[in-house]
Amino acid sequence: MSPTKNTMLLAIIAAVVIVAVVAIALLTMQPGGSSQPTTTPTATPSPPPTTTSVPSRLSGALTGGGSTFVAPQMFTWSKTFYQVTGGKIQVNYQSIGSGAGAAQFLEKKLDFGASDVPMPRDKYQQAAGRFVQFPVIIGSIVLVYNLPEIAYSKTGMYLNLTSEVISLIYMGEIRQWCDPRIKALNPGLADKLPCRDIVAVHRSDGSGTTAAFTLYLSRAYPAWNQTVGWGYTVNWPADEKAKGTGAKGNEGVAQAVLQTPYSIGYVEFAYWAKNRGKYDQVGGVAFVRNDNDGKYYFPTAENVAMGAAAGLERYTRRYGAPPAPDADWNPVSIEFANPPRGYPIVSFVYVFLWKDYAAEGYGDAATKAALLKEFFKWVLTEGQRQENVVEGYIPLPSEVAKIGLEALNLVKP
Amino acid sequence: MLGFLLVVLLIPYLIAAYGLLFVKLRWGLRLFGVFIVATIGLLTAMFLVEAYPIIARDGVAVFLEARWDPVRESYGVLQALAGTVLTSAVAMALAMPMALGVAVTINELLPARWRGVFGSLVDLTATMPTVIYGLWGLFVLGPTLQSLVNALAGGTVMTTPYTLFTAGVLLAIMITPYAAAVIREGYSLVPKPVEEAIYAIGATRFEAVLIKLRYVRNYIIGGFFLALGRAMGETVAVAMVVGGNLAKFTTNIFESGITISSLIALQFPNAASYQYMAPALFAAALLLTLFGLVINAVAIYIIQRGQI
Amino acid sequence: MTAERKVEDITAKRMLINRLGLGLFALLGVAAVVPLFLIIGDVYIKGIDAINRLGGLWHFLTELPPTPVDERGGIGPMLVGTLYMTALGALFGIAVGFPLGVYIGEMRREKFANVARAGVNILVEFPTIVVGLFVYAVMSLAKEDLNKYLLYPLSKALSPLGGWITWFIGPLDGFNAYAGAAALSIIMIPYVALITASAYASIEQPLREAAYAIGGRDFNALFVVLRKAVSRAVVTAALLGTAKIAGETAPLLFTAFGNTYYAPFTGPTGAVSLWIWYAAQTPYDVLIASAYGAAAVLLTIILIIFIVARIRG
Repeated sequence: MSPTKNTMLLAIIAAVVIVAVVAIALLTMQPGGSSQPTTTPTATPSPPPTTTSVPSRLSGALTGGGSTFVAPQMFTWSKTFYQVTGGKIQVNYQSIGSGAGAAQFLEKKLDFGASDVPMPRDKYQQAAGRFVQFPVIIGSIVLVYNLPEIAYSKTGMYLNLTSEVISLIYMGEIRQWCDPRIKALNPGLADKLPCRDIVAVHRSDGSGTTAAFTLYLSRAYPAWNQTVGWGYTVNWPADEKAKGTGAKGNEGVAQAVLQTPYSIGYVEFAYWAKNRGKYDQVGGVAFVRNDNDGKYYFPTAENVAMGAAAGLERYTRRYGAPPAPDADWNPVSIEFANPPRGYPIVSFVYVFLWKDYAAEGYGDAATKAALLKEFFKWVLTEGQRQENVVEGYIPLPSEVAKIGLEALNLVKP
Repeated sequence: MLGFLLVVLLIPYLIAAYGLLFVKLRWGLRLFGVFIVATIGLLTAMFLVEAYPIIARDGVAVFLEARWDPVRESYGVLQALAGTVLTSAVAMALAMPMALGVAVTINELLPARWRGVFGSLVDLTATMPTVIYGLWGLFVLGPTLQSLVNALAGGTVMTTPYTLFTAGVLLAIMITPYAAAVIREGYSLVPKPVEEAIYAIGATRFEAVLIKLRYVRNYIIGGFFLALGRAMGETVAVAMVVGGNLAKFTTNIFESGITISSLIALQFPNAASYQYMAPALFAAALLLTLFGLVINAVAIYIIQRGQI
Repeated sequence: MTAERKVEDITAKRMLINRLGLGLFALLGVAAVVPLFLIIGDVYIKGIDAINRLGGLWHFLTELPPTPVDERGGIGPMLVGTLYMTALGALFGIAVGFPLGVYIGEMRREKFANVARAGVNILVEFPTIVVGLFVYAVMSLAKEDLNKYLLYPLSKALSPLGGWITWFIGPLDGFNAYAGAAALSIIMIPYVALITASAYASIEQPLREAAYAIGGRDFNALFVVLRKAVSRAVVTAALLGTAKIAGETAPLLFTAFGNTYYAPFTGPTGAVSLWIWYAAQTPYDVLIASAYGAAAVLLTIILIIFIVARIRG
């Protein structure tokens, strides 16, 4: 035996040993859920498992994926549900991106998909009538800025912004912070706004956050709709005409704004909330005017929920009925955007389910459908209670949750 | 059925290749060569098939124009090619001196017992998960470089911490070990008689080092191209620090930009929602492949010429 | 500098250049590893603190991951998945990469070997996400028939062995650990091949000729006699590659998919790197802490592989 062979042999043996150890580890964890996650013994306010007993006759695993934004919330629901069902139902959710979530769902690689926008129109037509979509949670997008001269810690004030000014900044038309159009909205800060170039930070990856943000601008400021439009990724005029720059993920944008003086960026609420103290040091978060009622709103949970409810109300008024779960939801998301009152930059997360899992060719379809109905029923009822909602997300108003519960009835058992 | 056969026949193929190694070594080895060429062929075929829709629609314009406007289904990847070239150039300009430094430090300057330790550290640099580099670049390297560059230039050269330059520097750190490994290999092989001859003519150690480096220039070239390949292909870490101006063609390394790999990584997750985005991204992958082919041809040419 | 220079010419100036030049090389060499210390320090300081906060080492290594509302949690399912997929991927990657490296390193006069070398060089620079997509495409094509003709009968035949076998062998889901391992192995092959090739290429000609002379058959010459000259490099290649794929993220996205529960390898399987990638980008401190803890664990695995290799080498 030569050393070379020995080494190779050793490498192989090592690998085999690793595999064997893994196997043994798994064996000892059998069956199913004997690896009970320990509920935290600390006295801190971790959520007590909900008291509602979920029938434990069912057991099995579900696979879902899509929206990155909803992942922490979906994961929390999944783990809590796993605990309340005694470890019998595993709902594995992975954040692969909204677009991929929709596509993989349609390819039947996933049991359910989740997306920050409804099923795109051309894809909807491929599977129209065979699947349902409904919102499961709400998010909001905030504008954060880095402006040392008027930082909240110095002035005690946050900037006021409107859809027009935000659009013009990202279109590269408003290039400096001392622009009269910004001053006009902020009389209290007008003389302190510096004549420095605005660095407009946006997402470089395709994202539901960008989709919701640009949809809002498209709805609220027609010129934006004509020149830029809305989607997971758009062509930002500020990149060419002014000092626009991209960053990856909410985390990247949040970090870029903190690091870059005279910048502005849009992030999901939770990313601002986490760094609130740091933002207050260098700048802050903007009040955004709802152009429909003319009031400035701070992105609080109440203001966002108010916006969501108002959006549904407007849809129902226009179309005569609440949206049907198996309809095309693109018109719905447009009515939800820039609502008549409340904080205007609201985003929804939609879940896709098939109506008939057997007909779509899923193995073990009856169990799958039953598990999905069980899980999402829990999500739309217990899951919306404050102790099951993660900071940064906003529970559905009950009239919106009702749409989802109706959708579940359309899923064939 | 095709895929099934492909997967099922793979195992007997490899077993046969291994068997042949004992009987007819050369043919056995060739089977492994065939395997890798077939894999590349299949990959390229997949790129072609997937990219076909946009090439059928736009022709070669997709490679020659700089735009990225999914709303209007309008794509071009020239800006990403420019970004790849610029970040790779910055990375190579910094990495090659560092790689030479590593090779010389290990082989000439360190006492024997420290060589292994230092060498291990360098190798370890190559194995750090790229996502960890990305996070480090996001929180530490980017802001540091920004203040450093702006202080040196005496003005605001970098408006954001995340630019092509940042990506290039991060890449340089990541790829140095690859180049260093190859150069070290060559350096340790400088024949004893040659080394003795160098000192015999009275060269200082530094002069000896320069002569030896010239002696192993083929390894330096080899290391260069290996590292260049890594620099062009690196995805996750670059995506986090390159800024990501998807549509803007720029040749200023202190601006935000995009590279081919990071464009693919950043845009792929939601590409399925658009009709032509995934094809455009596969076209970008095809472009990277072509680019790689050209560079490899150049490398082979240079090395073969150098061997005369 | 030419040979005509005389020994007596060593002036103060040349000595100065010598000092400065060597100093510059040393500086550059050190610069290459300084970031490593910064990063490792950062990961361990934050990672160890995070592991302690999340419930201690054993808890962290075995438990399910924390949600934003949890105080404790671990990376159990992902660690198992990473170990399994990395081991399989490395096995296959070395099995193919090593002979391939010998081919392109030792048979350089063959035209086809140069083609293969160019292929390997290109494979190194493919964005890793694309490799994942390739495996995904092949898996989509092959899955149904594979299950029908091979895996379903096989799992039936093996069922007397007990239920545990279904954790490893059985009809595959669209996402599974084997697809993940395949993607990882494709990424590993060129690493191993290139380093093996450069090790073989660096064998001095006299040594090679001697090996062929005494080895008799080519096989003995290449794999037995020349082992001495290349074993260290090859082991390094195998370990570098293994460590590299242990930390890969992008190729697993559409192949292994990820999982936050203990589940059979025939279905979606978690990986530590996927967890780091996901958790580090969330705004929740407990998830970010778990990402740092996971990074520390991953780094420790890599370091252990390394140290073992160095002690042997």
